[in-house]
Formats: sequence, structure tokens, C-alpha cells
Amino acid sequence: MIFVIDDDLTMAKCIKRACGRADVRIFANAIEAMELIARGELPELIFLDILLDGPDGFTFLNELVSYVDTSKISVVVVSSLDFSGRDLSNYGVVGILNKETMTPEEILAYVK
Amino acid sequence: MESEVDGILVAAHELKAPLAVLRQLALALGEISVDDEEIRTEMIKVSERAMRQVNDLAKMRRLEEGMFKMEPVAVREVCDAVTSELKYLFEAGERELLVKYTNRSRLAMANRELLQSVIYNFLINAVHYSNKNTRSQLSVFETKGKLRVAVRDFGPTLPTDIFKELKTGQILKPTSIAMRPGSSGLGLYIASKFAQFMNAEIGAVRHQDGTSFYVNLPVSRQMSLF
Repeated sequence: MIFVIDDDLTMAKCIKRACGRADVRIFANAIEAMELIARGELPELIFLDILLDGPDGFTFLNELVSYVDTSKISVVVVSSLDFSGRDLSNYGVVGILNKETMTPEEILAYVK
Repeated sequence: MESEVDGILVAAHELKAPLAVLRQLALALGEISVDDEEIRTEMIKVSERAMRQVNDLAKMRRLEEGMFKMEPVAVREVCDAVTSELKYLFEAGERELLVKYTNRSRLAMANRELLQSVIYNFLINAVHYSNKNTRSQLSVFETKGKLRVAVRDFGPTLPTDIFKELKTGQILKPTSIAMRPGSSGLGLYIASKFAQFMNAEIGAVRHQDGTSFYVNLPVSRQMSLF
């Protein structure tokens, strides 16, 4: 299962479509995603926006790395903020996509 | 004042989001006909240009925060990066872009990102206001101990009021350039602010058949390794 957490529904749908899989769930905020994870639904991969309504992406990442089972989940940050030169691997971040320049192929590459 | 400027940052983010979505939607269309592919490409490029302008506005806020470091910058390489990005626009508009480098000093003291934006704005201006089948020119050369990056276009010449304002070294506010329809003067205003930050001089030369915009950059004393 893949999670897409983005308060922009259209952008989230674009990411879902690019994943090319049926088991992609969209969340408009971090709390909804965290609730599902707390119920034992662990995704293989999360596409995470940083500027979200409610708790932001970093708060969510901090929560993920706080628990053994969730700290292993791969996260791809999808944001229009500039993270060039930043190492977010301590948060389990395996990649950073810039919303302004990313392509469906780059999204799919992380899924594969 | 602080809250007003922060409002600009918020507005910039809000404007960027739908543009990024529009670009993704165009990319998500999948296989389409050759004619539609042209429309898709244009949608993507228009979105990218608009995002760049919004980013430039956000950069103006970051100028005050001292986020941009001055360093020796290889000017030709910056020009190459921008011309390569915009070459398609000239071709699509049935215009040409000639690039001419005659500078011996390779490095200027500047900020790469800001210099890129200044050159980008000059070239976008040339695309929009040059007449069809003309050849704009980007040149880099040395003059009076400075490195000059100039863009010559072939369209309506710059009105004298804007020309006089440019002679003072900066544009105080975006001003519509009447002889260049559709222009808000925003690009020139942004370029002026960025040049000012880099201790560079921005200016223009009026020709009968167009305008040259230029930025004069201090030459870096650091020896080039290349």
C-alpha cells in the first residue's frame, strides 16, 4: 500500500495516477494518515507534502521515526519548498521531489 | 511593513500551488496526438515560467534576510544554462538567439541564482518584444573593468521615462511599459532589485530598432581553475 499525504487533492490525485497502482490512499492531512498507521495499516511508501493543514510534514516524520515499526517506512517528500542540499535520511526520507519540476516518471521510479 | 512582505511570501506560495498542479495535470495526460502534444508542452512551459516569476518575488523577500551569498560565478556557464532553457521559446516564436562571448575574465562576483534570474528576465523580455524573424543577441564582454551581460532585442525601443529611471541604476516600482504592450515592467523591476543586491549596475541602451538591457558585474579577483 502507498500513502499520499497532500492537502491539495488534485496534486494528490496526480501523484496517485503516476504511481500506476490501485492500492494508493490519499490523505488530506497527517492526522488521518497517522490514525490509519496506528491501527496497523503500514504502507510500504509514503509521498508526503510538508506544508499541510494541521501538523506539518516534519511533525509527521518525527512521529514516524519515534516507533520501531514505522521508522522503517520509506518516505518521499513532495514539496515546492527548496530542500536542495538537505539530508533528511534520518527521517526515513528516501527521496525529495520538487512539485515545480517533478515528472510522473520520477514518481513511478520511487514506486518501483 | 514586515507583515506586508510576509503577505507576499504567503501569496507566492498560494500562487505556486495551482501552477504546479496545472503542470502535473498536463504531464498526466498520457499519450496524445502530435498537435495536442504542442499544446501540452506550451501548458507546461507557461506554468514553469509563471512559477519562476513567483519564485523571483519570493526571492525578493529573502534578499532582506541575507539568504543569498556573493561568490565568484562563472558567467558564461550561467548564460549557457539560461539560453539552453529558453532556446525553444525563441524557436517557437520564429525568433533567433545569438550568443557571443568575448570576455577574458571568466568569473564575476555575484550570486548565481540571482544572476540567472536577471538574465532570464532580459531574455524573456527579448522573446516577447522582438519582432518575428529577428535575431536577439546575448553577449558577455568586458567594459571599464566590469563584466557586462547584455541582451539586445529588436522590437519597440524603450520609452525615455523608463530609460531615465534605469540610468539611476534601479527601478523603484513595476511600471507598465506603454510601447511594450502587456508588460507590467515586473521582470525589469525584479532584475533591478537583484542587480542592486549584487552591487551590479543595470542599464539599457536605446536603439532605433530595439533595446539592449545589460547588467555590469564586478570582476572576481579569484583566479579561475579552468
